[in-house]
Amino acid sequence: MSATLEKGLNAFKEVIDTPIASYFSSCVHCGLCAEACLFYNETGDPKYTPIHKLEPLRRVWKQEYTLLGKLGKMLGLSKPVTDEELTEWEPLVYDSCSMCGRCSLVCPVGNDITYMIRKMREGMSASGHAPEDMKGATKRAIEIGSPMGIKWPAVQAQIKHVQAETDIEVPVDKQGADYLVLMSSMEIINFPEYLSAISRIFKQAGVSWTLAPDAFEATNSGIQIGASDLAREIVSRIVVAAERLKVKCVISPECGHAFTAIRWEGPNLMGKPFGFEVKHILEVLDELHAAGKLKTRGKDKRPLTYHDPCQIARRGGVVEQPRRLLGEVAEDFREMPDAGVMNWCCGGGGGVSANSRAEPLRLEVFKVKKRQIESTGVHTLITACANCRIVMEEGLEHYHMKVEVLGLTELLAEYLVEGE
Amino acid sequence: MNHLDLLTFARGSALNWALIIFVAGTVLRFFEIFGLSRKTDLARPRTDSPGSGWRTMLTRSIPPQGMLKREPVTYIAGYVFHLGLFLAIFFFAPHIEFFRSITGLSWFALPSALVDASVVAAIVALAVLLAHRLNNPVKRMLSGFGDYLAWTVTLLPLLTGYMAYHHLMFEYTLMLSLHIFSVELLLVLLPFTKLFHTFSVFVSRWYNGDFFGRKGVAS
Amino acid sequence: MTITNDSEFKAAIAKLTKAGQRQVGARFAESVLALCKDARVKHAIATAMRADITEEELAAALDSAKKASVDSFTLCGKECDWNSQAGHFVAEAALACLKSGTTPAWDAAMHARMARTSESIATGVGTDNAEAAVQYRILAEFMKD
Repeated sequence: MSATLEKGLNAFKEVIDTPIASYFSSCVHCGLCAEACLFYNETGDPKYTPIHKLEPLRRVWKQEYTLLGKLGKMLGLSKPVTDEELTEWEPLVYDSCSMCGRCSLVCPVGNDITYMIRKMREGMSASGHAPEDMKGATKRAIEIGSPMGIKWPAVQAQIKHVQAETDIEVPVDKQGADYLVLMSSMEIINFPEYLSAISRIFKQAGVSWTLAPDAFEATNSGIQIGASDLAREIVSRIVVAAERLKVKCVISPECGHAFTAIRWEGPNLMGKPFGFEVKHILEVLDELHAAGKLKTRGKDKRPLTYHDPCQIARRGGVVEQPRRLLGEVAEDFREMPDAGVMNWCCGGGGGVSANSRAEPLRLEVFKVKKRQIESTGVHTLITACANCRIVMEEGLEHYHMKVEVLGLTELLAEYLVEGE
Repeated sequence: MNHLDLLTFARGSALNWALIIFVAGTVLRFFEIFGLSRKTDLARPRTDSPGSGWRTMLTRSIPPQGMLKREPVTYIAGYVFHLGLFLAIFFFAPHIEFFRSITGLSWFALPSALVDASVVAAIVALAVLLAHRLNNPVKRMLSGFGDYLAWTVTLLPLLTGYMAYHHLMFEYTLMLSLHIFSVELLLVLLPFTKLFHTFSVFVSRWYNGDFFGRKGVAS
Repeated sequence: MTITNDSEFKAAIAKLTKAGQRQVGARFAESVLALCKDARVKHAIATAMRADITEEELAAALDSAKKASVDSFTLCGKECDWNSQAGHFVAEAALACLKSGTTPAWDAAMHARMARTSESIATGVGTDNAEAAVQYRILAEFMKD
């Protein structure tokens, strides 16, 4: 066994816990998980069956943690997990799974397959079986501070741009501010309008907030590739900054996996509860709205629909907030079929969009989202994740659909009443 | 050995051994599962969540939105089979008598004709499920020896029970012995196959509901 | 007229007709065109600058600019090349002036400035850029005609 395969197998053994043991024990091979999966649904290829993606992990569980399995292994009757097998499984685990969570909602025996994929990725990456693009992103995240290679001077440039546009100062390193605002690389690079919208909304609402030069990045490629030590390193930067600035709450931006990383995995990676709260920007905006601090005027007359980012809605519990906010600024809001926690993934989460090898598959399975949008008849799509936004723009362009995609925060800012 | 001796053996030491292996096997499997750890979740859970482990334990039996239309055979045949099996095991007078002899507890029985019908339905459902398993590409790919073994040892008690009740094929005493042996086979294999889901499903559903519930989602 | 700050800039833009906003927006995009290597964007900008375009030409230019914009996004997790990103914002500027939104010229101006900002990040030369002043001049000249 090569050194890296051994590390991978050890990682597999380490991640298997009581829930996973119960999941593997309960699976009855009913195949319903496949019916829930975006990738199986559109391609019809049985290899995309979610529980099948876990087969190497299952065998390790059987051989290490069950009496029968251990006996089988001792007697040479069991099939060991090999490097070749992990090579074969790599595209199943990384290209055809965005950790969207639909399978976990559907399995009749209650298996949280998504959770298991997340854990399996630990072993895959420890054994060197992760997509090259993702390895690059993680390396950049650790060495530079951002998976896309963004350094603070780039953020400063954007801040200058946004300040000129809005005439509002962007606070940096403000001690005792209520909120520490994080951004995702995607927003910094592609959507400066997010920071501009935040500035304007927070000014109007009288919110005290700040950015931090040592912790502006919310995305966590450690989570996506499955390297908890790296994920921990990335989260710790945020924790250190939040504690240093003594903020009450850290705001996770319009990005799905960033929210999962900091809100749900963060304290577990750090090994201690946070001394501050973590909220998604939609939650904060909803709270401001409920308190009457978010003043808007007028409504968008375009018929529009909302795409629920998987990590925010299904895996994060932020479902009603965007709808309440849209109620304020949209005249003709139409739900797509399966809206809410059962919404279909854009296809690009969990590192899939960073993985160029997965592009053809991702574009293929976008047809599911395409059909959802078409059934609403709208030409304007709102969402709250920068990655979903770009993945969907690509998909829409690929299928020649005339649909515009907007971020929810940006849309709210358009109807903001300022100076009152 | 004549038929009566065989039945005495089936009801006697064979049953004792089968029950011992069944209980010991089940306890062992639970140790295997709970002997592993589960790290405490240090993230602050949502306080007003509609979901929980206990809730999902029950509600996961309901097909989620859109799924029944996609896979009606698996769901409907699955329900018919499970319900039929449940009624047959727990609401057939002779079985209730058996439980009373072991535990001292007893309860009302359903009319035997009703139990009989539900057994037929269960057997038909099992046949449908097997056909589906062989024809559906996903199920076929997932299935191996363990699945077909589980199917067989689940069918046999239903089939032999039906045959015994209706005095079919073999002499009644022999048929009854075969029925009891088939139940013993099922008991012995249950903890060591996917049939263990009979117990573990409550654990897995609970963990699922708890995970999602903490995030504010009812799963 | 001279425009010296963004409030004056916004006020002046508001006085323009829709066609006027499109044309001046195209000029803002043209100012940063050197940062973009995509021929589609060049063509879209040239189309948008003309006063005499038809609905079909408008739609075709819009399509073209949109494709160029989507093709030049940096995908999540990919390494960011700020030079390419500058090109992306030029495409966005071209797209903005062609769209029938509320403030095409302002949106185009913002994207053009972001293109210049991206260039300054790529070259590492300062975070100040003088594109705003360039845009004031462009607008003032346009309104003279």
